[in-house]
Amino acid sequence: MTVDIRLPTALRAFADKQEKVSVQAKTVGEALDALFAKHDRLKAQLLSPDGKLRTFVNVYVNEDDARDKQGLATPVKDGDTVLIVPAIAGGATLAAEAELSKAELKRYDRHLILPEVGLEGQKKLKKSAVLCVGAGGLGSPLALYLAAAGVGRIGIVDFDAVDESNLQRQILHDTLSVGTSKLASAKKRLLALNPHITVETHEIRLSSANAIELFKQYDVIADGTDNFPTRYLVNDACVLTGKPNAYGSIFRFEGQLSVFAAKDGPCYRCLYPEPPPPGLVPSCAEGGVLGVLPGVIGTMQAVETIKLLLGIGHPLVGRLMLYDALEQSWRTLKVKKNPACPVCGDNPTIQAPIDYEAFCGLKEKPVSTIREITVEELKLKLDKKEKFVLLDVREPHEHAAAKIPGAILIPLGELHLRAADLDKAHVYVVHCRSGARSARAVMLLCEKGFNATNVAGGILAWADRIDPSLRVS
Amino acid sequence: MTLKARRALEGAVTGACESAYPDEGCGLLLGPVPDAFDRPGRALFVDEVRPLPNGWDASAKTNRYLIDPRLLAKVENELSGTGRGVVGFYHSHPDHPAWPSPFDLMMAWPCLSYWIVRVDGGKAVDGRSWQRTEDGRSFVEEEIVLLEE
Repeated sequence: MTVDIRLPTALRAFADKQEKVSVQAKTVGEALDALFAKHDRLKAQLLSPDGKLRTFVNVYVNEDDARDKQGLATPVKDGDTVLIVPAIAGGATLAAEAELSKAELKRYDRHLILPEVGLEGQKKLKKSAVLCVGAGGLGSPLALYLAAAGVGRIGIVDFDAVDESNLQRQILHDTLSVGTSKLASAKKRLLALNPHITVETHEIRLSSANAIELFKQYDVIADGTDNFPTRYLVNDACVLTGKPNAYGSIFRFEGQLSVFAAKDGPCYRCLYPEPPPPGLVPSCAEGGVLGVLPGVIGTMQAVETIKLLLGIGHPLVGRLMLYDALEQSWRTLKVKKNPACPVCGDNPTIQAPIDYEAFCGLKEKPVSTIREITVEELKLKLDKKEKFVLLDVREPHEHAAAKIPGAILIPLGELHLRAADLDKAHVYVVHCRSGARSARAVMLLCEKGFNATNVAGGILAWADRIDPSLRVS
Repeated sequence: MTLKARRALEGAVTGACESAYPDEGCGLLLGPVPDAFDRPGRALFVDEVRPLPNGWDASAKTNRYLIDPRLLAKVENELSGTGRGVVGFYHSHPDHPAWPSPFDLMMAWPCLSYWIVRVDGGKAVDGRSWQRTEDGRSFVEEEIVLLEE
């Protein structure tokens, strides 16, 4: 059967400017297939990705709407004309739905004119709730951008006070807020930026006991924590409550970014089934961090959070982005869902939050297995000029900033390599900032057959109780 | 990219939109079909405007419009073989900005110009024309150039 397909003006550009295409077909569906075989760009315009006619496409056979007959199965005969007619519709958004005030419409204008956001999207943001875990380096730009974007309810969990050393990167807080609660400072700043939102403060230490109930109240969780126990807790609680986790982390000059625990996506445990040994990866307080780095990563978390809330674009699910500020480079790694993952796998063994301090090895009690002395005992040894080597296992910059007289420096990360150079005939007294890294060092040295003792409380205790002139941050 | 029309035609578009208020007004933009209609940034010349009734049901005419496909097919048929065609549509946004809404984007066809008139309290205050990108993900605004007679 030869039938003519007539194309509307809008589609002729995709069919060599023809108004009419003749094809052989027995049904409307066959006629369209034959048309697409000749002009493949038409297909994307008329069919949705799953192969159905898009809603705004009308197909007529002679005078009759194919939908009123048998749809694509409608038979056609010689001489029939198949007519493709655009359904032309549109219009402004329903005024009655508009819960945005005039002031809000003005404020969000640059969002409203993006068709991908528009009034519907902006209202979605207003109805959304995001929980920021931490009001520190990552939480600062994250919460600021979410507030500016009009996310209606922003929750923040933190229990710290603002310290002067935070201000190098935590732009939610300012000089006047030093010494006050981070949450009070954050809330004040966010509401000053956007009075149309609600800020909920949770001055608690996030724990296995409270995480589930808290996460249930929000749509997206944004993890800006700086330690492994909380990171695993956030991950597990996200999986257990079905909330996506816009994850970011930073270290010195490097950052990581991903979306975990999204539907059908991997979680943090799929990527890192186990935490690193305690003390191996220094925290920001110990290892330092470029101040603007959390600005980069926290801002990207805000991008991912807003995409998740709006349901636009491609969220960073199944991909881990690695940022290197010194090289100014981004690398993307694929992350697969692990079927054997204990929390999001096929047969999960974790069905409620666990003890994360223990999981991360922070409840090992090195004191029971290693020798330890107090800073007062160390002072006495030094004063008596006893023969021993005082070993500082902190990072070089920490050593340069403040040291106990006579200490030699071998950072913990290098100790296993440099132990071979040390003389086993000597007695070693080991310190770090607080006593945690040096405890690891003492264990490592004892395993290798050295005589080593830990200084409890580290140089912090030394500065506190022996030499108050020493400034240790 | 531009949409050119004689000033009198702009008057016809805004006039029809104002009289439709508080409902949305809509109609066809006719003119010669350009050589590369699908090219982003192509220029268009509109030489005729045909106001049509808003076919959406009464419940939502203030924020929706619909053009009867039979009326559209009739006009396409009438212009067949003349080199002219339906090159775009106009519609109004009563008391809303002249930017395409997400619904406009969802329903938009490629190539065509979408001329949106903002009508505040019965008075046309803004008019902007848009062309959908081929991937269907957004609109690009085009300049409306009015020609004196």
